[in-house]
Amino acid sequence: MQPCLRVEIRRQLDQFQIDMQFEIGAEILVLFGPSGAGKTQTLQAIAGLMTPDAGLIRLNDTVLFRRQPGQTPINLPPRQRRIGYVFQHYALFPHMTVLDNVAFPIGNGARARQRAYELLDLMHLAHLAMRKPHELSGGQQQRVAIARALATESPVILFDESFSALDQPVRERLHAEVRALQADRNLVIIYVTHSLNDAFAVGQRIAIVREGRIEQIGSPVAVCHYPANVRVAQILGLPNLFRARVLRVESERVCLDWQGRCIAAALPTQPLSPGTLVNIIIRAEEIRLVDSTEPLHGFTCHNLLPGRIVERRPGWRLHHLLVAVGSAVLEVAHPYIAYANHEISVGNIVQIGFAPESVIIIPEGGMPPSSN
Amino acid sequence: MNWPAFWLSLQVTALATCFILLLGLPIALWLAKVEFPGQTLIETLLMLPLVLPPSVVGYYLLLVLGRGSPLIEWFQIRILFSWPAAVVATVVVGLPLMIQSSKAALLNVDPRLEQAARTLGASEWRIITRITFPLARRGIIAGIVLGGARALGEFGATLMVTGNIPGRTQTLPVAIYDAVQAQRYDDAHRMVLVMTAIAFVGLWWVRQLESSRRPQPAVMNLEQGDEDATVLAG
Repeated sequence: MQPCLRVEIRRQLDQFQIDMQFEIGAEILVLFGPSGAGKTQTLQAIAGLMTPDAGLIRLNDTVLFRRQPGQTPINLPPRQRRIGYVFQHYALFPHMTVLDNVAFPIGNGARARQRAYELLDLMHLAHLAMRKPHELSGGQQQRVAIARALATESPVILFDESFSALDQPVRERLHAEVRALQADRNLVIIYVTHSLNDAFAVGQRIAIVREGRIEQIGSPVAVCHYPANVRVAQILGLPNLFRARVLRVESERVCLDWQGRCIAAALPTQPLSPGTLVNIIIRAEEIRLVDSTEPLHGFTCHNLLPGRIVERRPGWRLHHLLVAVGSAVLEVAHPYIAYANHEISVGNIVQIGFAPESVIIIPEGGMPPSSN
Repeated sequence: MNWPAFWLSLQVTALATCFILLLGLPIALWLAKVEFPGQTLIETLLMLPLVLPPSVVGYYLLLVLGRGSPLIEWFQIRILFSWPAAVVATVVVGLPLMIQSSKAALLNVDPRLEQAARTLGASEWRIITRITFPLARRGIIAGIVLGGARALGEFGATLMVTGNIPGRTQTLPVAIYDAVQAQRYDDAHRMVLVMTAIAFVGLWWVRQLESSRRPQPAVMNLEQGDEDATVLAG
């Protein structure tokens, strides 16, 4: 049977109200958002460590929590829910051996230890079974914590910023292991993070959480390429977010007035009327510097704009140029190898180009698409 | 050396220590884990024997254990001026030290570990016995030792409720006072040395327990992240 976890919770906080609703099957759902957005509280509510004011939490046919008008309230204690929970700081029991930690949810006796040993073996830790947690590295400790969560036999495992204290290479290996575990055991995994890298590395779906609500839920690529609203774009930290005015709507394109110039954008799904102001994103990775001496590529012929380089900003993987166009400053991200022959010093006048498909018109309000 | 007083002191102290543990640990757990109105009041009352003159504590005990008090009338327990009264007096005076030390240690246990145990299906009883108490064991043991040592050295309140009957209710500290009053200084000298030795060993042990405590509980360990590479390769 495919597991299914249904979560609808409401809880009043000092600053805002948590109002989360989502359903998750055997997959990895990432809850992404700024600190204090209510992500951890949502996990705690599922595990039974926090009691919402109202709502329903149901795993398959078992109601874990229910407080709804006209229904008998149900609130199972954490020990009856037995939801696997992997904490940020591992939360291993320091006075027990690694083996005893993993055997803790199973019980005492030889069979429990045998099962714990198998789980440690699965996490490549069998040789450390008799050590104490403090003798292990951070990555190893978090593997023990995962083995211990698996020992509950829960179909649901919650990761609460679990890998944020670990080095990047360790983190990447653990992400791969989490994905493999999910597929092997058909697990329901909710993974809370505020790192976009982690979200992409591990998530099959991503939910953008802001002030206790899900602003958008969908595949990471879909959410990053088509943010449902300006708030999502801001939470994701997408560059090149501007206001533009609709000039005219054609059969395949929209012409926009941006910085006093006409730029073409792909036709969005929602209807637009001329004269309205819209929010747009011009994808930084898809903007090119166009060399006037070379023949133009077909795809850039719509949007060619002159600009002046105001800053060069070396990045982790891409190089960034800030280009002033009119009163706006546009970020251009490009591989280091590109434009090796170009003069891209600060102050140079360059020509930039981008395809209409690289201009995203963000819906104003409206329901977030549940694209997958 | 007044051996009857010495053995009576040991007997009273052993019993008192048991009661201090059995009463003090649940009270400490209750104070550490449950928030309730009037908590500060209860804690202050429990700490009061630490600062009150022993004669005041003894006076209250005379009221509680004496004729006319409900305890005595209902339960027909008459222990005043017998050695069990010394046990009551020493428990009352030793208990605050036990409660203080264990409560601090219990508060020091990372609540996230208890939360983790809850998600792993443990009952509250199992969490307390397998997680909370083992992690707080140093503070609890220190509390028992301190409370026991205080019980051993209790003088004023014991004197008031037991009546100082040599061979029957006279404990070592009272016997020392008696010996000095009677100018039997050699006797007093030996008993003082015994008391000092016992107190010293007890305190020394507590110091050892406290200094061997790890500076940081081993929950976080951020420094050794890259050992994993060798694990997977090997």
